[in-house]
Amino acid sequence: MRIFLVAVIILVNFILQTTVLPYISIAGALPHTGLSIVVSFALLRGSTEGAVTGFFTGMLLDIFFGMSVGYYALLFLLMGLVIGHSQKEFYRENYLLPIIFCLLATLVFESINFATGLLSQGEAHVVYFLLRMVLPEMLYTAVFTIPIYRFLFGINDWLELKEKYKYRLF
Amino acid sequence: MSLFAFLQRHKKKIVIIVILVLAVLAVFTSGKKSKGNILDQAAGFVIAPLQEVAAGTANWFENTFTNRREASQVKEENEMLKEQIVSLQADLDRIAKYELENKKLSALLKIAQKYEQHESFGATIVAKNPGSWYDVFTIDKGSGQGVVPDMVLCTQGGLVGRVLEVSATYSKGRSILDSRSAVPAMSQRTGDLGVVKGDYTLMNDGLCRMEYIDAAAEIVIGDEIVTSHLSDVYPPGIIIGKVTEIKTDSNGLTKYAIVEPAVDLKHLDTLLVMEGGKHPQDPDVQMGTEQQEQTQEDAQ
Repeated sequence: MRIFLVAVIILVNFILQTTVLPYISIAGALPHTGLSIVVSFALLRGSTEGAVTGFFTGMLLDIFFGMSVGYYALLFLLMGLVIGHSQKEFYRENYLLPIIFCLLATLVFESINFATGLLSQGEAHVVYFLLRMVLPEMLYTAVFTIPIYRFLFGINDWLELKEKYKYRLF
Repeated sequence: MSLFAFLQRHKKKIVIIVILVLAVLAVFTSGKKSKGNILDQAAGFVIAPLQEVAAGTANWFENTFTNRREASQVKEENEMLKEQIVSLQADLDRIAKYELENKKLSALLKIAQKYEQHESFGATIVAKNPGSWYDVFTIDKGSGQGVVPDMVLCTQGGLVGRVLEVSATYSKGRSILDSRSAVPAMSQRTGDLGVVKGDYTLMNDGLCRMEYIDAAAEIVIGDEIVTSHLSDVYPPGIIIGKVTEIKTDSNGLTKYAIVEPAVDLKHLDTLLVMEGGKHPQDPDVQMGTEQQEQTQEDAQ
């Protein structure tokens, strides 16, 4: 049940992100909702599930848009792993942490993209990169993280309740 | 002797007289009814209003009952008509969509005819790469529909990009705005060669850059840039865009130009997938028109 639901969430997000979201871009910036989902799952469910979610989210991107299979998958997997490890004890009802982590994740993600771009093309426009690309995307993604986190939080609660009865955990 | 007894006694006579009177009246009054006589008028005066009332009442009853009966029919009919409206509206929408599609496709046909030797067909952009680094998209045609890697993507306006990878049902395309894209290009007017490259700092504005232009080139703002004959992928002569800015590189030996693509690459849905490579019968754009004239003169 959980696997099925998470798979559906990842797929639906991918479809929406690549078809509908470009219509609401502000100044060329798009919210990276896939990133929000990976961060949310990593925080809610720990590093393993964060890593798995990240792997599949990244793999989809790789298959359809990436130039090398595994680049995004690896990046997202590591992100889920690290974020999941970093915070094991926190109040899930607190939205500030996911937002902060999303801001950081976007920054790291885009910086790595920038670095690989630099390696393969040898062009660096640091000011443009920071001000015109990263900053709007960070803010936009952070705004989108709030409803996404709220939604996943609710789904996770519901699933945990079901699992509690099914496996008689507590 | 009472009146009754009198009537009794002269019954036959009275009947005969009445019959005669009526017969005479019938004969004499026939054919001149244009104006009712006083009897008619009196009768009309008294009875007509009553008749009207009666008829009105009857009408009212009839109307109410038939209204009741018809109301349900009307309701049914109304629902049916509403359904019809919905289905007709859907038809209209569909027709409008077809009309739009038809316009787009017939516009694509024009460029397909220009490059007749290159096999081509239409396709639609399905999804776009999220993120602001690269401009990669997927189209709804794959190897099953005859797409092969390195096919050229264009519209009636000009060049869009090329096919990178092909899957069974979809293909991955890369637009000329992507920073990894490089298209050998030339100025249509002067024949100056260069390479049109994508640049992520220009991508969000929908612009790209033409690099490696010779410092002595006579390229000016407004020149039309087309694909050159130096490419193995792009057929020569496809319009790329117009020069909007020219700058000299820091080394002073070459210039670069900012090129505004002829196609609005940010709002694109239908495009033409065209066989890449060169054909001997392609439109001849190997040299700019001026130089071409010169060679013709030389030949003479």
